[in-house]
This record gives sequence, C-alpha cells and structure tokens, in this order.
Amino acid sequence: MRVSNVSLSYGGEPVLEGASLRVGSGQFVSLVGPSGSGKSSLLRVAMGLQKPFAGSVDLERGKSDVGILFQDDALLPWRTARQNVSLGLRFRGMPKQEALRKADEWLARLGLEGLEDRYPRRLSGGQRKRVALAQVLALEPKLILMDEPFASLDAIVRTKIIQDVVHLVEQQKITVLLVTHDLEEAISLSDVVYLLSQGPRAKITQEYPIPIPRPRDLVRARLHPAYAPLLDKLWSDLSHEVEGNVNGHSAKAAA
Amino acid sequence: MSALLHPRYALLRQLATLAAVLAFWEYAGTQGWLNPLYMPRPSAIWLALRDLFLDGRIWPHMQATFTAALGGLVLGVLAGVVLGIVAALVRLLSELIEPVMLVLNAIPRVILAPLFIIWFGIGLGSKIALSFVLVAVVIFFNVFGAVKNVDRRLVERIVTLGGGRWALLRQVYLPSITASVLHNLKVAVGFAFTGAVVGEFVGASRGLGYLISFAQSTYNAALMIALVLLILAVVLVIFSLANQAEKRLMRWH
Repeated sequence: MRVSNVSLSYGGEPVLEGASLRVGSGQFVSLVGPSGSGKSSLLRVAMGLQKPFAGSVDLERGKSDVGILFQDDALLPWRTARQNVSLGLRFRGMPKQEALRKADEWLARLGLEGLEDRYPRRLSGGQRKRVALAQVLALEPKLILMDEPFASLDAIVRTKIIQDVVHLVEQQKITVLLVTHDLEEAISLSDVVYLLSQGPRAKITQEYPIPIPRPRDLVRARLHPAYAPLLDKLWSDLSHEVEGNVNGHSAKAAA
Repeated sequence: MSALLHPRYALLRQLATLAAVLAFWEYAGTQGWLNPLYMPRPSAIWLALRDLFLDGRIWPHMQATFTAALGGLVLGVLAGVVLGIVAALVRLLSELIEPVMLVLNAIPRVILAPLFIIWFGIGLGSKIALSFVLVAVVIFFNVFGAVKNVDRRLVERIVTLGGGRWALLRQVYLPSITASVLHNLKVAVGFAFTGAVVGEFVGASRGLGYLISFAQSTYNAALMIALVLLILAVVLVIFSLANQAEKRLMRWH
C-alpha cells in the first residue's frame, strides 16, 4: 500500500502535511511518533474513515481484502463471541450456519474454544482482543491496519497475543501497517519502521529497515545484535522530535 | 439474639416491624385514640378491600384501568420509539418534534386530563390519551438519546467489516434502542397507570381512579386506603413482569 503526501486538518488546525510512506506486499510496517502527532489520524485516512485535505492513500487492494483492528475492542455487547466473529462473513453474504461454523474455527485458532457463547461483558480484556482479532482474521484479509490494538492489555497477555498475531500474519502472508507508540514493539515486530514528526504539520521524517530475520520470536528478536542499536537510534530521533518541537515553541514564544 | 441481627434476616425484621406498627395502629383505633373518619383501623381497611373482591364489583373497574393503562403504554412506547428515531435521524423533522416534546416534558402533563375529557369524552379514550402522552414523552427522549449517543466505535466497526445501512440498523441501532426502552419500561409503566388513574378521577364512570374519587366524595377513608394498596399491588406485579422482560432480553448485560 502507498500513502502519498497526505495532509489533514481538524477545524483549521493542520495535523498532517505531506505524509508519505510505502508498505510492501507481505511486509509488517510500523508507524511510530510522539503522542498527538497524528499517527492515528493517518491510519483513519487509510481506513477511509477520514477524508484527507490533500494527497491520497492507495491500498492497492480491494476494500474487502483490508482488515482493521482498533485500539478498543468495539465488539457488539449484545452479540456473543461467535456472532461477533461471524458478522463480517455474514456481511459478505456467507450463509448463517457456515459463517457461525467458520467463526468457531477462528475462535478455536485464537485459543477461545469453549467461550463461543459468551457475551463480551463476560470475557476478559485479552479474550475480547482475541475475539476482535478473530473477527478480522476470519475475513482472510491481505492487509491489516492496526491502531495501537495492544495498548490496553497487561504485559503478559500482551506478549502472548502479539506472538500469536505475528505467527498468524507470517503464516497467512498478511501485509500489516501498525500504529504504535511502543518502540520496542515496533522494532521486534516490523520489517520497516517509519517515524512521524511531532505535529502540527507532521510528516514522515525517518525510515528504519529492520534486518531481523523471520519467522520472528518476540523475545528472541530483542536478543538480535541489530535490536539494541536500532532502539537507541529510534529513541534519540524520537526524543529529538519532541524536544525540537518544545524548543521551537519556546523560541516562537520568545520572539 | 445477635443471630437475628444477621443481614440474612433483614426481611424478617422489616416484616416484624410492619406487624408491630399495624398492631399498634389497630390497638390505637380500638382505644379511640384515632378518629376512624380520618384514620380507619387496619382491620377496617382489610374489610373494605375484601368486600371489593367478595361482591365482584372491583373487576369491571380493574378492567377499565388496566385497559387504559396498557393501551396508553403500548401506543405511547410505539409513538415514542418511532418519533425518537425519526427525530434523531432526520434533522428537519427534529426541528419540529423536539420543541413540542420539550414543552410537553416541561409541563405537568396531567393538566391535559380535563382537555382530553372534553375531546374524547369520559370513556376509555380520554384515559388512553393521557396515559399515552405521559409515556410517549418519556420514551421519546430515551430513544432520541439512544440513537444520538449510539457508540460511534460500534458504527465504525460495522462499517469497516463491510456492513451497510441495514446492518447498522439491525446490529447497532435497534439493540441500543431496545436496551434503552427496556431500561425505562418501569418508569413508563408507572406513568401509564398514573395517566389512567388520574384520568379516571377527573371524569369517568368506571376504573380504580373513579372509585377513589367516589370514596373521597363519600368520606370513606378505609375504601380509599384499600384502593391505594390495591393499585400499589397491581403496579408491583407489573414491575416484576417488566423486570423479567428486561432480564430476559438484556442477558448480555
């Protein structure tokens, strides 16, 4: 997929200005940046939920090949896990019984066997996240856009879920664009990491290829010799972004 | 002794206290401390209540009140839901409907009772109309709010999964509306009975409200208290039915 020169403003406030990036087929790409820089906004443009002021996003795929994973679970509280997972399949015209059976398969694949009839309120945060994942993966997307989907989980659950996601994504050769504020997560998961500058008028300032081989193991990836220098570089570039902006503001204020 | 103070026996303690109050009340009555014209003894109230059922004259009145209350409830919920959805989705219509509802909500709607009697006569129509107005306004605001404040994340979720308008209505809007109506069903039931009974004592020839107004004009305090208790019992039964409906339909909650 390709994001070309996207500019976006909220009520006259310029958020993004000329942001561009490329995600190669089958690649796992992360977008990091200071909070409030417009990472999520860029993703919302890609999702088609927001119209850019200028520029364009070419997903290079049909809409039905794109899956979206949100920060919150956003499951329908009045539908069971199975019904929630079957929703997208039903929208695509799959007969009900078949959709429910397929939903069960995906729930089992994500380790939720036996919880198919639970309502979201009766599931833990991690289990809900897995249901949301099953909901997206059941549609067998070629590209998944993720907006900090793991942010709300506690460390252990999070590591386990991420490991499962990496595994499934590698197995199904799915292209991923992940927005995250977690640099370690970005490096250990991705083939390429992009850095978005501090807003307003944020744009992509850096591109970091990650030379850690696949298949990835989340914990081992951190032991790879390339990991620590990359993290160090990413950290200092990000801090530079944030400080640079703070200084820029105070300079403006002084003037 | 201290075992009786256990929270488990709360109901027992409440009933014992009630029995003691009633016994004292009865005793005070027999001693002539209370004027029976104002404050009849519990036994007199009980007799009045029993008589209503023994000679069967209560049934047509109960039937009249029930018909009016349930008629008003059903029509009021339907109108509230439809108007609420329409006003929340169609801006031009909301400009017309919302001010009317705001005004109706601001005034004590029972003042419309005499007007309805002029319009619809002293029969069933005027009671249903009052019940209807009381219920419809409450339901309207709930449904209006439910549609307006529908969870945007759920809407985006359905859209990004490929769902269209019909899917949004069926998967997001209707369940949200149902939840809000069920949540307020008990309030609506209370209003429906208020409408029916108030309508009846403003002008009617049947109904529990009519009986209360009859008891008042004949200074029959025992009958009046008996009727109040009867209405209380009826509404409690309906509340528990509404509760069960809510539990059954909201088991996801």
